[in-house]
Amino acid sequence: MARREHLLKIGVSGIRGVVGEFLTPQLACAFAQAFGTYVGQGRVVVGRDTRASGPMLQHSVACGLLAAGCQVIDVGVLPTPTIQIYVASSGARGGIAITASHNPSEYNALKLFGPSGLIFNSYERGELLDLFHQSDFRQASNEEIGSVTCDYDAPKRRHFERVLRHVDVERIRARRFLVGLDAVNGAGAVTTVPFLRDWLGCRVEAINVDPTRPFPRVAEPRPDTLGDLSELVRRTGADLGFAQDPDGDRLAVADETGRVIDNDDVLALVVDAALENLPGDVVVNLTTSAVVNDIARAHGRRVYRTPVGEANVVETMQVVNAAIGGEGSNGGVIFPAVHMCRDSYTGMAFLLDRMARTGQTVSELTRRLPRYYRKLGKVTYEHGMLGALMQALEDRFPDVETDRSDGLKLTWPDAWIHVRASNTEPILRLAVEASDQARMESMYSGLEKLFAEVKGA
Amino acid sequence: MPMRAAKSLRISHVGLRGVVGSGMTAAHVIDFASAFGTFLESRAPVVIGRDPRASGAMIREGVIAALQATGHDVVDLGLVSTPVIQHTIRRLDAAGGISIGASHNTADWNALKFFGARGTYLSTAEAGELLDIYHLHNFDFVPWNKTGALRRLDGAIDGYLDGLAAVYDLEAIKGLKVLVDCSNGTSSLLLRRMNERFGFNFILINARLQGAVFAHEPSTTASVVALQLAPLMTTVGADAGFLFDVDSDRVAMATEEGAPVSEELALPLLADWVLPRVPGRLIIANLSSTALLEEIARRHGAKVIRIPVGRHTAIDALASYREEQIAIAGEGTGAVMMPQFRFVYDGIASMLGVLSMMVERRSTLSEILGGYPRYSILKGQVPISSPRIPALLMGLQERYADGRANVVDGLRMDWPDRWFHVRVSQTEPLVRVIAEQRGDPPQELFEELMEQVRRFA
Repeated sequence: MARREHLLKIGVSGIRGVVGEFLTPQLACAFAQAFGTYVGQGRVVVGRDTRASGPMLQHSVACGLLAAGCQVIDVGVLPTPTIQIYVASSGARGGIAITASHNPSEYNALKLFGPSGLIFNSYERGELLDLFHQSDFRQASNEEIGSVTCDYDAPKRRHFERVLRHVDVERIRARRFLVGLDAVNGAGAVTTVPFLRDWLGCRVEAINVDPTRPFPRVAEPRPDTLGDLSELVRRTGADLGFAQDPDGDRLAVADETGRVIDNDDVLALVVDAALENLPGDVVVNLTTSAVVNDIARAHGRRVYRTPVGEANVVETMQVVNAAIGGEGSNGGVIFPAVHMCRDSYTGMAFLLDRMARTGQTVSELTRRLPRYYRKLGKVTYEHGMLGALMQALEDRFPDVETDRSDGLKLTWPDAWIHVRASNTEPILRLAVEASDQARMESMYSGLEKLFAEVKGA
Repeated sequence: MPMRAAKSLRISHVGLRGVVGSGMTAAHVIDFASAFGTFLESRAPVVIGRDPRASGAMIREGVIAALQATGHDVVDLGLVSTPVIQHTIRRLDAAGGISIGASHNTADWNALKFFGARGTYLSTAEAGELLDIYHLHNFDFVPWNKTGALRRLDGAIDGYLDGLAAVYDLEAIKGLKVLVDCSNGTSSLLLRRMNERFGFNFILINARLQGAVFAHEPSTTASVVALQLAPLMTTVGADAGFLFDVDSDRVAMATEEGAPVSEELALPLLADWVLPRVPGRLIIANLSSTALLEEIARRHGAKVIRIPVGRHTAIDALASYREEQIAIAGEGTGAVMMPQFRFVYDGIASMLGVLSMMVERRSTLSEILGGYPRYSILKGQVPISSPRIPALLMGLQERYADGRANVVDGLRMDWPDRWFHVRVSQTEPLVRVIAEQRGDPPQELFEELMEQVRRFA
């Protein structure tokens, strides 16, 4: 018998689910009240992306926060990094972004931030989860209950000012780049056009910038979902194209021919730019391309690898005081000098800055990168399968370097394989990279074959 | 006091009421509003508004979230009197409404009052269904892309005043000088607008909306009138004085001589005014209110229908007669409704009725009141253990067998010149004892009753 579908996940990553039957106002309110209890009385910033369920959840969250005795600062529809930076710069106790990021429209979630606008570390998230489950909430009395105030303008300004401190704005403005933009009708729909046009002097050809409309494509900005952006760049003769996810933390880039370049290559270009200006090492997740190692080596820096997930990368970045970090295939750049969060605006500014400085096009910049071939796939998760696959892989390749911190990663001098369970969906993710395309293809089909054998056994 | 804390949440046919934090929490609010959103069959919008209690900000967020999650658009009137919400429901053909406010309770309390599509309180059967849905937690949440929208409505007060102007001869009464104690509630918003729009001469005290500290208990009793309003009457030289509870559905009075008027007198006074003007011959009143009503009814060839105490029982009674049969309905608390201005407990409309009466009779308030025979009422309460209540009531009925008994709500015994009512409070573990007599207080009867009741404590 098929298992009953339960499209809700409450765990150390917070609360996420399909709104309606699963993610209810009750759960959102209780989680927010737990959060308000955890961070204590004071101001808490609340914003959201453009999902249809956003207003309902925002009222639920405001209810829970006020009930815990917090003041609520409503910043409306904004990208997640903008919200985090505002939390950090406004002396708030914390912040909540109502967004399921790159998940489909029917999902929503709460992203929770501590007093510095940082994702909680795993221990803090565990504590908060316990508090939620114990229902041991602070219950403010009438006299202790605060109010909701709005600040819709300051957050964008603060975010953009912080980003642009690290690039030569005048040099970018002088180029009057023609930029194609696909904001997926998400939070970027209200902030990205002004950022590119008013702050960076670009000419902008934009699609999907109506925040009242549903997402017109798969929310995750990956090469295979961005046909409209490619077409837009080709049609308008744009210098490059940008695509965001609904909460504006992830970025994908198309070159001047309309080809959407690999997200790992975008990260590599931004890492290269950052290391030129700042000291410090690099932190990326296990599934990020080896191209980052090559770039770091050229700058004489070290690369730290973490389990997949922004929180894991951020945790290690803090510990090693990294210059830059990110998650390649997810399209995320984390630049602590702006803020310790995934930020598509930093990515956009760095790339435009590099083009302005070198006079090169995106395809020219990308061509200079060491070439690797990657394949990422997924198979349906079944309990017990990951462990069996990991054992089979180690048996097959006994003499190779292994990392078991998130599934299993096998690393050869010129290639790697990574198998892991997704944090947010019931799937196993398979990833293979090699410096030679034929070798990569044969490794990937070998991996699929091995999985089929394990499953059949 | 733990005893008080344990009793500070009340969920009943009247709705949800409690001390915020220690009794009534965000979770109660969202659950109850979700139940109401589920209960309403029409998907039309729901009208909401609130009184100035600080906790109203928190409760408002939860109510909006729950209504949106159950697929209702929400029309928010902001800070507003309960009768305005009820009128707006009818004007907009809304599905129903919720008033957030604890009326005559102290500031630390709050409550949700629910109204159906006619703008009236729910009947006993409807309120029972709402409670069943609440207890089952079986809410009809709509899918993620069907959640409701929030809209603010300005001009609700003017729409309500249009209705008043159509029923009352405002021109005739606007010359009177009227002192009003607003109890820091929302009546000040209405009365200021009436001064502005119609040229009334309302002089307001305690007119500032307060979230945490009220100038006095916002109760419409003669003893509260005696605190500030009555002593100021002659100094100001006002023709009449009125005191409203926080959400202005109840009213109390002071005469031009500065005498506080018993809250019991609002209903008979208005019955005396309205009976010659309408075809209806029925007065709906609960068992605990004064027998002066019967006397006034006789003068106009009308009849008093005595019903159990409680707002839903009034709605049940109203539904069991044709609308044109009813002249007036109300309680001895200063809550009165006159069908000429809809079946809504409305302190403002009641005040206009009294002022109209003064002008039409060319009499002062004390002259009009002086024309009624004196009735004296004594009230007491005794804590009791529930198992012994039936025996108590049976014993009293046997002891006073020479009276006319009514047992629909405890025991009411009537004699030609006096009556008593012994009933169990719906909100506290108390037996309430009320005795009234034409002329002097029924001291002996009252003490005897108290003695009998105490024996069962």
